[in-house]
Amino acid sequence: MDIQFSTEEQRFREECRDWLHANVPADKRPMDAADAIGFDKAWQRRLFDAGWAGINWPSQYGGRGLSIVQQVIWLEEYARAHAPWIGANFVGVNHGGPTLIINASEAQKEYHLPRILKGEAIWCQGFSEPGAGSDLAGIKTRGRVEGNELVINGSKIWTSFAHVADWQELVLRTEEGSQRHRGLSWVICDMHAPGIEIRPIRKISGQIEFAQVFYDDVRIPLENVVGGLGNGWKVAMSTLSFERGTGFIADQVKQSQEIEELIDRARATGAINDDRIAEALMQMRAEVAALRAMTYRNISEVVRNGQPGPEASVIRLFTAELGQRLDRMGLLLAGDDILDFRYGDDNHIADYLRGFAGTIAGGSSQIQRDIIAERVLGLPKSR
Amino acid sequence: MDLTPNSEQEALLSATADWCHDNMPLEQARSRHPALWNQLADMGWLGMTAPGMDLDHATEALVFAELGRHLAPVGMISSAVAARWSGHQGKTALALLDRDLTGGLLRVYDAPGATHALGLVGGLAALTALPSDLGGEPGLDLSAPLAHIDPAPPFTALGDPRAALHLQLLSAAFATGVADAARDMAAEYAKIREQFERPIGWFQALKHICADMAVRAAVAKSQLLYAACALDAGDADAGFHVASAKHLADQAAIDNGRANIQVHGGIGMTDEAYPHLCLKRAHLLTFVAPPERAVILGEAA
Repeated sequence: MDIQFSTEEQRFREECRDWLHANVPADKRPMDAADAIGFDKAWQRRLFDAGWAGINWPSQYGGRGLSIVQQVIWLEEYARAHAPWIGANFVGVNHGGPTLIINASEAQKEYHLPRILKGEAIWCQGFSEPGAGSDLAGIKTRGRVEGNELVINGSKIWTSFAHVADWQELVLRTEEGSQRHRGLSWVICDMHAPGIEIRPIRKISGQIEFAQVFYDDVRIPLENVVGGLGNGWKVAMSTLSFERGTGFIADQVKQSQEIEELIDRARATGAINDDRIAEALMQMRAEVAALRAMTYRNISEVVRNGQPGPEASVIRLFTAELGQRLDRMGLLLAGDDILDFRYGDDNHIADYLRGFAGTIAGGSSQIQRDIIAERVLGLPKSR
Repeated sequence: MDLTPNSEQEALLSATADWCHDNMPLEQARSRHPALWNQLADMGWLGMTAPGMDLDHATEALVFAELGRHLAPVGMISSAVAARWSGHQGKTALALLDRDLTGGLLRVYDAPGATHALGLVGGLAALTALPSDLGGEPGLDLSAPLAHIDPAPPFTALGDPRAALHLQLLSAAFATGVADAARDMAAEYAKIREQFERPIGWFQALKHICADMAVRAAVAKSQLLYAACALDAGDADAGFHVASAKHLADQAAIDNGRANIQVHGGIGMTDEAYPHLCLKRAHLLTFVAPPERAVILGEAA
């Protein structure tokens, strides 16, 4: 065991740092998805042109074909350089793309992966429904096979970037009368297809970033099914473990900067002389260090065994809850300034309000605890 | 960068676990056989990082977490530190000063058979000679004989400041082991204890207590291994990482120790059952090389 990076990895880190230093945009990313889309696409294109998109994606699809450790180094330097959140490209780059790499046909990969990396195609996720949140297997949106098409009816919700997306990773019921995890399919849905209606939803932070999507006889070619009809649950689960393990490294590095900024601010204002605040800051500084250690352990596991260990789900839960405590501390140090918050402000109060999603989106913390209890500790399944 | 054990470390770890299971089960923590110390010395655990042994702190931390999981004698920590930094081989008792200066009350754990005790004095690891007939009776922690010397005799500080970090690291490893033990004990009980005609581990209220125990143990273990590697690498932040490891390990041991009693219900309240052994050990370990807030906050170098 060691925490040293190889000479090659250190050189790669220097390269990342130099490029980011010279290229991170000076202007701030706009807040609402509709305003930010141009910014996000242009930035992703610049990353791609310079060779920084898809660092560990296969090179035949536009990636660099490098190691996961180099991907981690890039993400660490990316956050350290205060580079902008990848925003609308998040689902394609962090979720849709990796799912396609594992499960899609050659033709699907050849078409979609380069477009994701170049920022030409924006993806959104279509998993949750009004009646299927934590109980994801309760999906009711259905796709009827007609000739070589799927005819889709139903609704998805909490779909981030739906109103600016080109494609959707859509999980729906393709076998009539099927129950729970069976009879589902993972489909690439064209968001510009006739019959799709999108109703944006405003968040408690004031942002308009997610939406409800309605499907009224939407026709999608059968060739857009990924991993075969009826295998949707398996396809969806193949990337959840990825998401739990390495999908949040940028967030974690951001947290390591946040804690330093909070400590600096607490020193500047004298708040650090309050024992409760000093204690909380100490706690979080130790935890941020442990989170990095846990992530390195997880990455090491991937390098050694090809997949994250069962404890990857611990990282997901811990990152989300630690993030919220950091946001809460930011608020505490801000004092009564928070009362002047207005929709459209993009500051630590917006961060705090946005941060509630951390323990809800992509599997609530309650579901994560069930997963840890059942899969890591072997307690009896209750669902 | 690699924070997973290699195949040799894996083998050593599973051999340690097997040996502990057969010879030093947690269930017998309050009545250890007098011959146990000779066996521990024979296994080489009292001097893993002693000069000439060629093992690193990462390997040692892995093994000590496993030993700690079986509530191994606390004197192993002081013995390992003494063997590494003072050349004092064999059994060295663990010394706790009630103030950070000599002259106050001295508590000594695992004194029988030890000529010296090692503890922290003014932030440095230090040794003191013990009276030959020092014995002891169990205190809060029922697993180790505790003796008092009042006032404390003079100590001789070990020159290298890394000895204190070593003491902090190994006590963090022991605490991490306690957190692991409490987590596993609670999870096993939740699988077999039935109420409302099903195992109590079926209920989310119990599941989430156990999941939080798993989170705390994983957090503590990860930081422990990172800190051990930092110490091995001579990293400038090693002091911060070891202090953080100790802080999180103590917290995990206490919180898991408490949760384990709650999961066991009435049984957890009994002297006969084992959960209280973990909690009491956890409380003792918080007094061994406690982390300083200034170090974790980055105020002190």
